[in-house]
Amino acid sequence: MKITIENLQLRYGKFTAIDNMNLEIGDHESVVLLGKSGCGKTSTMRCIAGLEEPTAGRITIGDTVVFDAEAGINIPPHRRNVGMVFQSYAVWPHMTVFENVAYSLKVQGLGKAETANRVHEALELVGLEDFASRGASLLSGGQMQRVALARSLVMRPDVLLLDEPLSNLDARLRDRLRIELREIQLQLGLTTVYVTHDQQEAFALADRIALMQNGVIVQMNSPSAMYLEPASAQIAHFLGVSNVHPVTAGASGTYTVTDTDLTLASAGLEPVGAGELHACFRSEDIRLSSTGAPGANSWRGTVRVSSFQGSTIRYAVEVASGMPDLDILAPLSAAERFQPGDSVWVTMDAGAVQILPQDAPLIQERAGVAA
Amino acid sequence: MTFTLPSAEAKPTTEEPSTRAVAAINREVSPGPPRRRTGRLTLTALRREVPSGILAVLLFFLVILPVIFIIIAAVSTAVPRPGNAQIGEFTWANFGILATPEGRQSIINSLVIGVGAGVLSLVVGALLAFIAARTDAPWKRFIYITGMAPMFLPALVGALAWSILASPTAGHLNLFLEAIGIGSALNIYSYGGIIFVLGLYYAPYAFMLTYSSFSMMNADLEEAASVHGASLGRLFRTVTLPLSVPALAGAAILCFTLAMENFPVNAILGNPAGIETLPTYIYRLMAGDSRPNAAAGIAIALTVAVVVVTWLQQRVVNRKRFTTLTGKGNRPRTIPLRWMRWVATGFALAYFALSVLLPVAALVFTAMGDKVYINRFSDLFAGFSADRLLESMGQADFQTSTWNSILMALLAAAAGTLIAFMASYVRYRTTSRAGQLLEQVSMLPLAIPQVVLGMGILWAWLTLPLPVFGTLLLLVIATVAVNMPQGYRSISSSMLQMDGDLEHSAVMLGANRLRAVRDVTIPLMRTGLVSTLLLLLMLGLREMSAILFLYTSDTRVLSILVFHSFENGSISYSAALSLVFVLLIAVVAIATQVIGMRERKFKDAVR
Repeated sequence: MKITIENLQLRYGKFTAIDNMNLEIGDHESVVLLGKSGCGKTSTMRCIAGLEEPTAGRITIGDTVVFDAEAGINIPPHRRNVGMVFQSYAVWPHMTVFENVAYSLKVQGLGKAETANRVHEALELVGLEDFASRGASLLSGGQMQRVALARSLVMRPDVLLLDEPLSNLDARLRDRLRIELREIQLQLGLTTVYVTHDQQEAFALADRIALMQNGVIVQMNSPSAMYLEPASAQIAHFLGVSNVHPVTAGASGTYTVTDTDLTLASAGLEPVGAGELHACFRSEDIRLSSTGAPGANSWRGTVRVSSFQGSTIRYAVEVASGMPDLDILAPLSAAERFQPGDSVWVTMDAGAVQILPQDAPLIQERAGVAA
Repeated sequence: MTFTLPSAEAKPTTEEPSTRAVAAINREVSPGPPRRRTGRLTLTALRREVPSGILAVLLFFLVILPVIFIIIAAVSTAVPRPGNAQIGEFTWANFGILATPEGRQSIINSLVIGVGAGVLSLVVGALLAFIAARTDAPWKRFIYITGMAPMFLPALVGALAWSILASPTAGHLNLFLEAIGIGSALNIYSYGGIIFVLGLYYAPYAFMLTYSSFSMMNADLEEAASVHGASLGRLFRTVTLPLSVPALAGAAILCFTLAMENFPVNAILGNPAGIETLPTYIYRLMAGDSRPNAAAGIAIALTVAVVVVTWLQQRVVNRKRFTTLTGKGNRPRTIPLRWMRWVATGFALAYFALSVLLPVAALVFTAMGDKVYINRFSDLFAGFSADRLLESMGQADFQTSTWNSILMALLAAAAGTLIAFMASYVRYRTTSRAGQLLEQVSMLPLAIPQVVLGMGILWAWLTLPLPVFGTLLLLVIATVAVNMPQGYRSISSSMLQMDGDLEHSAVMLGANRLRAVRDVTIPLMRTGLVSTLLLLLMLGLREMSAILFLYTSDTRVLSILVFHSFENGSISYSAALSLVFVLLIAVVAIATQVIGMRERKFKDAVR
């Protein structure tokens, strides 16, 4: 079901956790709220769930207004039919897996036979059909996570909320469950809101990502568009662009790295907004070579560190004194390899360089409000 | 401030509008929360405060109102009496009693005894805790139990037993000393005697507070010091000891206040020697001299002293936030004692003998020995029979008061657990603004001497137009009030260990709040709830100071009966009563320990 959030605000005393948020999530859509801890993403989710009471705004699920500060509407969480998987799973250790999953049906007063049917259906979906009678305290982390998911799915919620459900699992299990989660979401066509601080997870699970900073959504788009076109240098950095350097604009389309004579050319869009500009380029987009010629996007440098990482080699290359080393990721299959102290040429395509303002301007505005 | 999002409603997955258009800024600073809580929100907001409202009323009658009455009594010429709720005229004269020689002497006595007993119990308790937690002394399990064992013996019984053991005329130990030709050297009816007994029976509090601090100390910190070249002695001085300062200071101050406001020990051992302390002076002014307003004046002085000391303790403990005392399974290393190993165990043995073995033996000899009047040490061994013990147990007042004790303690424990659970729930599980206030009120009795709170409850319920005075219910009310902090703390530690999402998830699955609490929170906290119930039951059985002015002949409880029999000179009877009393408490205390162990196992299983 569709979720509409209008002018949502949540304050604790002077601290503003969510500031005037507008967000529309379509039916069957999976939206990921992505951001650092304390950016308001979990608060937003808890407002939708009804566990947190916003200070202003309106939230509509389907055609039902579940919260409206002005009209004085606040439907309690247990009547919103919203499923939620908590970060800690919150699987009840004093019940069996079956009892955990059957809880919502018991509350609804459903008959025994139907309850059993639906519980087994849900357990099958998450691959735990053999664990029904197991005590919940005996499960592993991954299994608990599945129980929590089955428990939320069995009530056939209008909306499913997931609060960092994979963050307590080890890396390999996380990769697998990520795909399983996406599969289940697509299979059931559930409207899903997912909270995470992990960009990989966000990319894998989202139809759209809402990137949050300091209580506001600073950018919202599909994962691929977000990856290719971050709105600010800060967002680019958060999304894993490791080379971010301040630049000064020169003649049309050319830039100089501030305090150096290194020149840059960008084929990207003209930067929107005011403030200091930054050049952002990914470590895998930089090529290393022992020969080259000085010019735009082609600089001379010295390898300071090289570290073997399996399929790639990571280099730290100094190109100008006073400027942070460039972070470069070269494939293992690259023609040349370099040792610390080697003199190298660094080149990149104009298409790989993005010139972005430091902040989405919005954020600077907000500093004053939060303080 | 608004900004438009890429058109979400238009097939978000197929169309990808440029993200650069995201932030269209409106420079207006977003407004504060608009005036809301009109209409239905006001009602829901009110409904949300219903539990905290009920609690506020309960705590008002339990704690606040009695305090108000003490303050009023301290500045007026009369106090409420049965059938006459007048409180007289305003006056400052009641505080004049503090300047009289008697008043001054009782203040000095209280300070001397409080400091002496505080230091003694800290030294004994912390030493035992250190030996049990950190050294390689043999029999450590026994030393651990020794540190807590005297909890079974209320200070009242301990004082009584020690007066049997070391009274100057017929004390068993003095008779022994005479028999071996040394002559009676001990006199328990003295400053030293009072300090000794109080120190003995409050040492377990110091033990418990410091043991956890010693045993949970992060080994890495000490190892870091060793790595950097500190010797063992230097390490102890520069790392271990400073890290324990908050726990040590906390324990010292707790023992000081407990000793200063203690009534039974000061009464039993102080009265024969004419040593009057603030609590016994209050008792005399109330019960003997009928000068309740003067008693209130003294009570205010005693309370102020305790409040100041408690406040100081909070400052000491809070000033440095020690985050080093983690609960990690990181066992601190043991310190080799070498030739001192058996000295350490011997110390624990001596403590066990003085605090438990000798007193219990004295009670058994006195309650069951054939000879009622002991003039020589050999008289003690003239023969034993259970006749007198059984005869004592057949007494009507014994049976009534035992029944009263059990009933009162059960009711108070049940009510106390319920109120503490509600207060803790409101504080830690709801957004109610009243939470912090409720917590402070729940902890307030910690700073009010029990005798004083008992007085306030007396006057409050004499004034209120409810037929509570003279019933057991009044004793229950007083017991709930004085033990509220212990109950609240015990429930809260259990509540804080439980992730709130466990309950929230039941709500998200369609259960209303009450049902979620019933289905999830209470079952998951059951060991915490049961151990709180047992703790309050034990404290309720021991209760004496708070109910000194509240009982009637029908509602006398065991502790009061023990005290009265002793005062009336029926030593043998009071010893018999004490034995049953101690047995009752021991059963509850052992149950508490067993439950505590089960809870630890349960938690390990969950983890």
